[in-house]
Amino acid sequence: MAAADVRDMLDLPAEGQPRPHKKQKVVEKRPEGITRELFALLGERAPPITINENRYKGRPKWTTKARVRPWQMTPFTNGARSDDLVLRHWQRQPESTTALAIEDAEAEKDQTKQEQVAPIPTEQEYSFAKYNVKARVANRYTADEYNRYLKSDEWTPEETDYLMGLVEEYGLRWVVIADRYDFEPQPVENTETPSTALVPSKRYRTMEQMKARYYFVAASMLALEHPPSDMSDTEFDLHEKMMKFDAERERHRKELAGLQINRTADEVREETILLEELKRITANEQEFVSERRELYSRLDVPISVGNATNYHNSQGLSHLLQTLLQADKSKKRRSLLGPEGIIPTPGGGQTPIPNAPGSARDSSRADTPNASATQPPTTKKAAAAAAANKEAAQQAIRTLTPAEEARYGVQHHDRLAPGVQFRSDRAQKLTQAKSHVQTQKLASALAELEIPLRLVMPTERVVKDFEKLIYSVNLLLDARKVAEKVEGEIRVLESAREDRERKVNEGREKDKPEVKSEQQDDDAPIPSAPVSSDASGAPQAKYAGVGQTISATPSNGPSAGFDLSVGGPEGVSHKRSASVLSNGTDKSSKRQRK
Amino acid sequence: MNPSVPPSAAEYGGDEVSAIVLDPGFSTTRAGFAGEDTPKSLIPSYYGKYSFEGQEKLIFGDDVFVTPRPGLSIHNPIGRDGIVEDWDMAEKVWEHSFTSRLTGAKPGNPLQNGLNDVADGEFPTEMEGVEAEEKPLADSPLLMSESSWNPTKAREKTIEIAMEKWGTPAFYLARNGVLAAFAAGKASALVVDIGASNISVTPVHDGMILKRGVQHSPLGGDYISSQIRALFKSNAPQPITIIPHYLISSKAAVEAGQPPQAKYKTFPPDRAPDSSYRSLLEERTLSEFKECVVQVWPGPTKLSATGPNGVVNEDMARSSPGRPFEFPDGYNQVFGVDRYRVVESLFDAKAAVPDPDSLFPAPTQAQTVPELIKAALGGVDVDIRPHLLANVVVTGASSLLHGFTDRLNQELMQSYPGPRVRISAPGHISERKFSSWIGGSILASLGTFHQMWISKKEFDEHGPNIVEKRCK
Repeated sequence: MAAADVRDMLDLPAEGQPRPHKKQKVVEKRPEGITRELFALLGERAPPITINENRYKGRPKWTTKARVRPWQMTPFTNGARSDDLVLRHWQRQPESTTALAIEDAEAEKDQTKQEQVAPIPTEQEYSFAKYNVKARVANRYTADEYNRYLKSDEWTPEETDYLMGLVEEYGLRWVVIADRYDFEPQPVENTETPSTALVPSKRYRTMEQMKARYYFVAASMLALEHPPSDMSDTEFDLHEKMMKFDAERERHRKELAGLQINRTADEVREETILLEELKRITANEQEFVSERRELYSRLDVPISVGNATNYHNSQGLSHLLQTLLQADKSKKRRSLLGPEGIIPTPGGGQTPIPNAPGSARDSSRADTPNASATQPPTTKKAAAAAAANKEAAQQAIRTLTPAEEARYGVQHHDRLAPGVQFRSDRAQKLTQAKSHVQTQKLASALAELEIPLRLVMPTERVVKDFEKLIYSVNLLLDARKVAEKVEGEIRVLESAREDRERKVNEGREKDKPEVKSEQQDDDAPIPSAPVSSDASGAPQAKYAGVGQTISATPSNGPSAGFDLSVGGPEGVSHKRSASVLSNGTDKSSKRQRK
Repeated sequence: MNPSVPPSAAEYGGDEVSAIVLDPGFSTTRAGFAGEDTPKSLIPSYYGKYSFEGQEKLIFGDDVFVTPRPGLSIHNPIGRDGIVEDWDMAEKVWEHSFTSRLTGAKPGNPLQNGLNDVADGEFPTEMEGVEAEEKPLADSPLLMSESSWNPTKAREKTIEIAMEKWGTPAFYLARNGVLAAFAAGKASALVVDIGASNISVTPVHDGMILKRGVQHSPLGGDYISSQIRALFKSNAPQPITIIPHYLISSKAAVEAGQPPQAKYKTFPPDRAPDSSYRSLLEERTLSEFKECVVQVWPGPTKLSATGPNGVVNEDMARSSPGRPFEFPDGYNQVFGVDRYRVVESLFDAKAAVPDPDSLFPAPTQAQTVPELIKAALGGVDVDIRPHLLANVVVTGASSLLHGFTDRLNQELMQSYPGPRVRISAPGHISERKFSSWIGGSILASLGTFHQMWISKKEFDEHGPNIVEKRCK
């Protein structure tokens, strides 16, 4: 009711004093979802805040409009079963039938009822049928095969049959087979042989006996199927394994295992103490090894790693080369150490790294239950085992035989020149002598041998032989030089002698003038070319025969080495050697004469 | 987790065919659908018999405990050794276990149940399904459990009942040791089952029991009850008689050790239930006592021996605070060292509380748990012994005795100091109580298991002996 109405009813003047206007408080509407206190803090000019609308969500919006696919109790058969047992499980209804099923909901009931009566065989195989796997067991034998190959004094055919049946039934689970084994020999009906009546006595079979029998039968059947030569690898392995089954050893092993499991607490304690000890020892060893390694690294010696298998590829080889180069660099320093310093050859010495896994293996083996029951020997045994392991580890690092070294191209260098160099330089350098003349002489010698100065294919072996050849040529040249010198001396001496003789002859001229004229005719060219003609003509004529005889019997002079070297790999040089030789033989003969 | 997407079969390998798992025991019978985690139906294996107006009536399920009817006598179809003795009644008890909760009454024909209008003159024509539907298990495969020493005859009888009486389409009989191992997630295990009437040790290898290693002895929960009774008889201030709840109309609180002040109900001799009823209800009080008071001496040595620090174990036990227990009539007492004594004979036969009136003869050392385990291990191949010791599964409701697994662990560590001993005992009570049922539930819901069922067709073809061939 408004004030105006009240005034109207009470006949009051329509408009009294107008009320003093109250100060209008501007109340900002507090948005919902924000507390009063917080709103008060905001002040008059509140920043725009978006506030989540707090309202009922209603039904969730489905992301897809697809209809729910119903589940259906569907019958199924299992392919792994021999009978066609029909079981029922819940399955999603296939898409296609959904619409149909919903359309006539009433008809569905009948449909399912019909399905129960005659289940529609599902198109796809039952998904779990694939897990129905059976262990592969040996082929069964025929009676004939049994009589020919499988006869045994220990086992009757019936019992063997029984065993094979059990093996198949329990899928080679020997523990279960041995547990369920309960063969009762049938009392033999036919009394033709009275001795068989005594046979049926139940005997206890151990698992080893069963295994031995089965493996024998299985291996024989396998061999019958495929002779061992035709077997595939896996078959052959299997055959080998089965043939090598040793029941006695297995029994012994199980005895030991039984002792192992029934150890007393004291034995166990002792063993743990021993294990601790072993661990301590191996740890010490480890420490020692690491200390030594540290020492080596301080000495800047590359640590040789692993065995020769690392160097089977080119990468490994290049790595090796690097290591060797480095080793060479530090050789001078190492030489101070003396001969004890390790030689970083791949195969040799006790290398620290392979040791580590070896010792680890020790401890791991020691962790596994030891088969021996007697405790005191275990200390020694453990130590011995450790030592043996170490030896084995060392032996594991193969040393290369010379043949292998050749095959892998492993070389042992005495020393390498420092710095970078080409290997081809080596071949090149050989042909350069100190003096130019000498070089030219070398070149001419090679040219005579028809060997090019720059080798066509400087493989290692060729270069080696080339080196030998050059060495020989150098020797030869030296020898020639000496020979020339000697000849010069001879000539001087001869001319001196001739002078003397002439004087003597002059003295005797008076006696035999005719002879002298003859001599002068012969010697006529000598004065004109006293040295050269002498050297070329007279001595050759003089010593030709002698030289030949001497060259046939090699003396211990340098010519012997020369002969051998020239008769080297090059067949060409061999032919040529005769002319080259002639000088050498001259010289040697001269020496002999001297 | 989208419920509309089915879990992929590769994830859990399950394929549920609404199989029913029935795990009958001496004390209780468990039944439920395969794939669930606990049995839906848990009933006592005991049944009550009384006559009413000249007719013999039977009571099954939990109802047996409720009303002290005149002349009500309690029976158990299963013998003390875990083998069924009374097959007719066993069948009824078992049937009750699944019909009461699981399968239920079949709905009648909708045309005849009065809920639908039927036009005059229109009567159902198809009647062929009726006969099959009368059988209680017509559409559920049945997986049953049995003790490992169940004789062939009993097994054949079981499949006959399942197939012929219950009409199950498929059946399988599994050893409860194997099932308990499966429940623990192991295919190979040494299952130590401490049940009501028996304790059993079953070596399981690859899902099969090793018969030569199976050991069992009667030192189960009922034996412990008899030990407690013997203890009560020789109780210090005064012998205690257990008066079950149904005989007490009111009681007053009394001080500890004081005689009870209670008003008792009395039944005239012709209205009184049989004494077996009373002992069944006494047993309930005793199991409460076992749950609340009884404790296993944790070891490492026997209760009668001297502990590692030179103190006699009994003195140690005496010094630990006792546990009070109030009986239904209001009598209450604190139990000290005695609470250890009643179970000590599970580990040390000499420590048994002597009682000449007891149903159970004095135990021998060979019947104790550690000796059973030793014998079981002795019966199996030496190669798997360490593995079995590393997979000891403890199950059975009586193994829930406080400290039982600790003691067992100590005993095993002492007997086998070398190999690693590892006990796997589920912590959850229902998992311990129902482990063989749970294992059955797992097994019967596996897709790969469905090839192992014995179908009705196979049963018809081969006869009941097929159970020996198939359920190995």
